[in-house]
Amino acid sequence: MAENWMLPRIFPIGGILFDFLFVLIAIPIEAYVLHSRLKFDKKSSTFYAISINLFSSVIGWLIFFVSEPLLPIQMKSELINYMFFNNFKSPKTQTLIILTAFIIFFATFLMKFFALRVLLLSLNEPVAKKEEALEISQRRRPRGFSNIKLQSTNLLTTTLIANSLSYSVITIILLFRSK
Amino acid sequence: MNTLFKDVFGVFKFAEGLYAGIRKILVPPKAYSWQTFIYLSVFSWGLSYFATSYIKDVIAFFGWLFLIAGTAWYTTEDPLRVPGTFMPVGAVITGFLVSLVFAFGNQEDVITPRTIVFWPTISALITAIPEFIEGNDTDAKARIPRPEDRQRIIILVASSMLLSCWIQFYFVMDNWLGQYPSLQADTFKRSTFVVRREQVVKIPQNGVIILEKLQPIVVEQIAEKPWSEVEKWLLDAKQRVGTLGREIIKINLDKYEEKELWRIEPRVTNTKSGYILDLLSIWIGPSSNPRGYYLKKSCRIEPLAATDNSGNKITVAEIECDRASKLIPGSPPPQQ
Repeated sequence: MAENWMLPRIFPIGGILFDFLFVLIAIPIEAYVLHSRLKFDKKSSTFYAISINLFSSVIGWLIFFVSEPLLPIQMKSELINYMFFNNFKSPKTQTLIILTAFIIFFATFLMKFFALRVLLLSLNEPVAKKEEALEISQRRRPRGFSNIKLQSTNLLTTTLIANSLSYSVITIILLFRSK
Repeated sequence: MNTLFKDVFGVFKFAEGLYAGIRKILVPPKAYSWQTFIYLSVFSWGLSYFATSYIKDVIAFFGWLFLIAGTAWYTTEDPLRVPGTFMPVGAVITGFLVSLVFAFGNQEDVITPRTIVFWPTISALITAIPEFIEGNDTDAKARIPRPEDRQRIIILVASSMLLSCWIQFYFVMDNWLGQYPSLQADTFKRSTFVVRREQVVKIPQNGVIILEKLQPIVVEQIAEKPWSEVEKWLLDAKQRVGTLGREIIKINLDKYEEKELWRIEPRVTNTKSGYILDLLSIWIGPSSNPRGYYLKKSCRIEPLAATDNSGNKITVAEIECDRASKLIPGSPPPQQ
């Protein structure tokens, strides 16, 4: 065990830098979308963009760590092939990649949406006061309820737009790289 | 004389200053201070040395507890912060100790991969704890930090969790290399995601081991056997060698995950005088060459005239194999 600590025999610097790059690309794009669509001020939209991206990245890694030992040997072999040698052996893998990409896209979208909701809830000053204010506004305007609903769908679409934009940019960068 | 006296005096002064400094660090100013905790931890360790069985573990555990409390106290007295963040260096040290002891240390190796993986996250959580406590030395109560502080804490915790994930990613890659040692004989030049130290292994050792173990068994089954029996054996070679190969892999490669990625096959070709039996161990796992590679060991089988026990003339087989296995890139030749 001792010699393992001296000098790592392998270091996933590329993987780490790519993840870092993705987060760095996604944060300004999503911050801009949050700022322009949800009318947050610049500072808090940056904060929301940073935290939803960090959290979705962390959860993505956790899913990878949990599922990696459970993969059947062929899939694991293909995964190692891609990570270490940048190629695939079996032609079936291509379909699997497209499927995985879809799942990853929608999974991150959902994660970001829920993370944003939780953050919005937890960061607003005392929650009770907010509810009171809502009640008042409801009394004042009978269409208050539909207004809240509208806000929620707005949040959903905004997250979807932000996520799609950042993923498109990342995909374009990946395409440039593979040339 | 006078200057010498001055020098001696100067040295004395210096020693006195040094002594005072050490004394200031070592002697606790009052009973309730961080030095006390450090001493308690040293004392506990000393005691645990003499104790036996579980008492020893319990005392040693308290030793760790005191050490953590002591360092945490010392480092919060005078916070030196990690550049770029509001995380005190003390929290990093305390975080390391906490993940060392509570989270997943054990007696054999003190530093496990998990210790290092959880280190950043635990440090961030330790940094966050004071934000949730309000009050002074005498009275403390829980509170929820202000929104700006909450934002800071969330980003700090999230980014250290990401750091933990990256460290874990390193360990996953390292584990792959351990579970699939045949990868070490390959080149990683085309990889986008990993870099590695220069390759030292020229030929995948597990493949070599399989052929080394397979050869004597095959030789034993063929050598000195009647020629007709040997020809029958060779007709059935695919199944026989396959079974032998599976047994060898089961015995020798059981601790590796890559055991399912080696396939053992024979190739039999006719020559003028006899047969050539090629023993192949084929790697069907990841490789830089998309068509893979295989290891080959050739055996030449030839008939030889001999007499059996009762004195009759018969033909027996003679077998002679290559010393070393050869690594051949590309897919193996087709089976007949």
